[in-house]
Amino acid sequence: MKIIACYSNKGGVGKTATSVNLAQSIAEAGHRVLLCDLDPQGASGFYFRVKPSKALKDEQFFKDVKRFTDAIRGSDYDNLDVLPANMSFRDFDIFLSRMKNSQSRLKKALKAGGTEYDIVVLDCPPNISTLSENVFRASDAIVVPVIPTTLSERTFEQLLHFFKEKKLVRKKILGFFSMAQGSKTLHGETMARMRKTHGKRLLDVTVPFATDVEKMGIHRAPVSTFARSSAAAKAYDALWRDVMDRL
Amino acid sequence: MTSHISYWIAGDPRPAFKTARFGKDRLVPLQEAAETPAILHDTFDGQVASAGCMLLSEGDELILLGIVKPIRQTGSAPGFVSDMESGPVRDALAGFVSSLRRLSPLGEVVIVRQPMALLDDLDKTLARGDLTVLTAKEGGSAAYLSATPLRGYDKALGRLSSGLAEIRVSGLLDARGAVSTLLPAALRQDLKPEIEMTAGTTAFRAATDIIDAQLDLARAHEPGTIADVDSEFLHQYRVALRKVRSVLSLFKGVYAPEETADLKARFGALMAQTGTLRDLDVYLIERESYLALVPEPLRPGLELLFEDIAADRAKAQEALARHLESDDYSREMRRLQKRFAKDGKKLAKGPEAERKARDLARQLIWKRYRKVCKIAGSIDASTPDAQVHELRIHCKKLRYLMEFFTPIFPEAEIKPLLKALKRLQDVLGTFNDCAVQKDALAGRLEAGDGRRSARKLEIAKSLGALLTVLDQRQRSARSEVEARFAAFNSPATRAGFAKLFKSAGAKP
Repeated sequence: MKIIACYSNKGGVGKTATSVNLAQSIAEAGHRVLLCDLDPQGASGFYFRVKPSKALKDEQFFKDVKRFTDAIRGSDYDNLDVLPANMSFRDFDIFLSRMKNSQSRLKKALKAGGTEYDIVVLDCPPNISTLSENVFRASDAIVVPVIPTTLSERTFEQLLHFFKEKKLVRKKILGFFSMAQGSKTLHGETMARMRKTHGKRLLDVTVPFATDVEKMGIHRAPVSTFARSSAAAKAYDALWRDVMDRL
Repeated sequence: MTSHISYWIAGDPRPAFKTARFGKDRLVPLQEAAETPAILHDTFDGQVASAGCMLLSEGDELILLGIVKPIRQTGSAPGFVSDMESGPVRDALAGFVSSLRRLSPLGEVVIVRQPMALLDDLDKTLARGDLTVLTAKEGGSAAYLSATPLRGYDKALGRLSSGLAEIRVSGLLDARGAVSTLLPAALRQDLKPEIEMTAGTTAFRAATDIIDAQLDLARAHEPGTIADVDSEFLHQYRVALRKVRSVLSLFKGVYAPEETADLKARFGALMAQTGTLRDLDVYLIERESYLALVPEPLRPGLELLFEDIAADRAKAQEALARHLESDDYSREMRRLQKRFAKDGKKLAKGPEAERKARDLARQLIWKRYRKVCKIAGSIDASTPDAQVHELRIHCKKLRYLMEFFTPIFPEAEIKPLLKALKRLQDVLGTFNDCAVQKDALAGRLEAGDGRRSARKLEIAKSLGALLTVLDQRQRSARSEVEARFAAFNSPATRAGFAKLFKSAGAKP
């Protein structure tokens, strides 16, 4: 089992869209995938029409394998299951701080509950916390969507710095440009600059800004299921191949 | 962890599904379905339906409904399971259809296959299903619905399951019921006739009802015997006639002596026509097991023997078919049926006719049981084979008596006794089959016209080997008789027989 995290310490960069489309593409290719929604807002679950699970509360996520596996729901797509989030997930940091080995608890929980899967995709909440440290340690790859703006560039650098400081494996970080708009000079310049400075940490794929991705909220489905030939769908398809190559 | 449901439903449930709600969930068709003609198949005794299934052929595809999801494979119209093309349908059928029975077409239906989904209020899929709606030309229809939940949605399946019972679209059935709904005449319901007997039933009435039912049963197996559908038709025909003869000989004094003698002779004559073909059938049924018994180099010789047997069998089948189709035969059968119809008004009664069937049964069974115990108790390694044969015949008669009168004794008490008896009979049956086959095969060796000598020699060599193996088998069965009887003669079985069948004044 390999763990792929979709993470950004900045909000609104397309994390959930990435998790959903990535998970669905990998599953479509024949791998058994669990999309695990760690974000208490539950947006991943929303896109798959899976209702929040009430039974998986508080520390149970980390301690109770049976409740963990019972909370898993089959999506409408083959090979793809979803572990929906609920509001108690917002207190993960508190639970983790109470537990021993608080930095490796997530990995332990996923290894125990996700044995049936080839790939676990994590949709992470946007912050740097004990939970994110758990994510960084547990994951084999950390996919980071970056909107090519000055602010996003700054947060990306903050992330790299954090990895250095905590002696985490920086190679796991796989950034890619998300919601990129070719018509904006700023986007073009930022992308060029970042590829120069952080080339090794960036994948070649660029997911363009697209209304089709926004429409996912209306369709409540991955973009390839209702707009297969769209530029966004093609970019996500290239993204999962790139990510799998790096694993 | 994953559970699934499947139901046979009377009628076409699609209109009801349009409005039905299962909690907040609803069952929706996933695509437009096309109607295709298909043919329904089963064995004469409905072995597919009895296993909860339905077998259909649709063009060059076979469909088996009843085991969770519909199973499909390519293949032409089914016959004997062993002759079918390999595939999942054949594999499933092999689990419950006898290798001796042929699958035959029962009738035409039109099928509609509709993938379904159980959706919640957000249109999330909770379970996937398959609905097959079958409609017969005459208008009867039935459906098969199976559904499997997606992970984590077992509860939704539970709601669907209880909802289906509640909406009562049309009622739930079993597979046999579904076949009857579609093709009311397709499966005979009376292959295992239940004879009504109460404490007040007279011996005359019981005997007459049993014979009447067995005669119907024999007649029901005539067309399949004539058409040579499979060897079970003749076998069941003979079983029915044998039961008639058993009643005549075992229920002594129920009919007047001259009546009994006349009937015995007439049924004996009918039975005599069938012996040759049945014997040849048995060889051919045993073909594979015989081949496996002899060493590889001797098998070609045995194959030649089976060629001869198959040729003889074809002739015997033709002869029997001619007999069954003859006017003489059907006149005789009609006459016999008439005698036993209408409560046997035309039959001459004997001294025991008005006795209560229950009393007569207890007397006859107890007497026969004591005889079995007496003979079996004296058998040891030195006992001549003739005595073992005698034991077998008494056991057989005891078994028939108990089976005829099963309805008047408590089922829970008589069933274990029958089971114990069957176990004893198994070893006696093997002993006898080996003996009979040895004699008959040896007879084949001696008969013949002396021509084709090389061929005969090859057959003779193989036959010699087979006879040796059969003899060993017979010896081994023989050596088991003592132990099997000891098992049959357990205190519990003894007490069971005494309780049910021993009357106050009877000998211990």
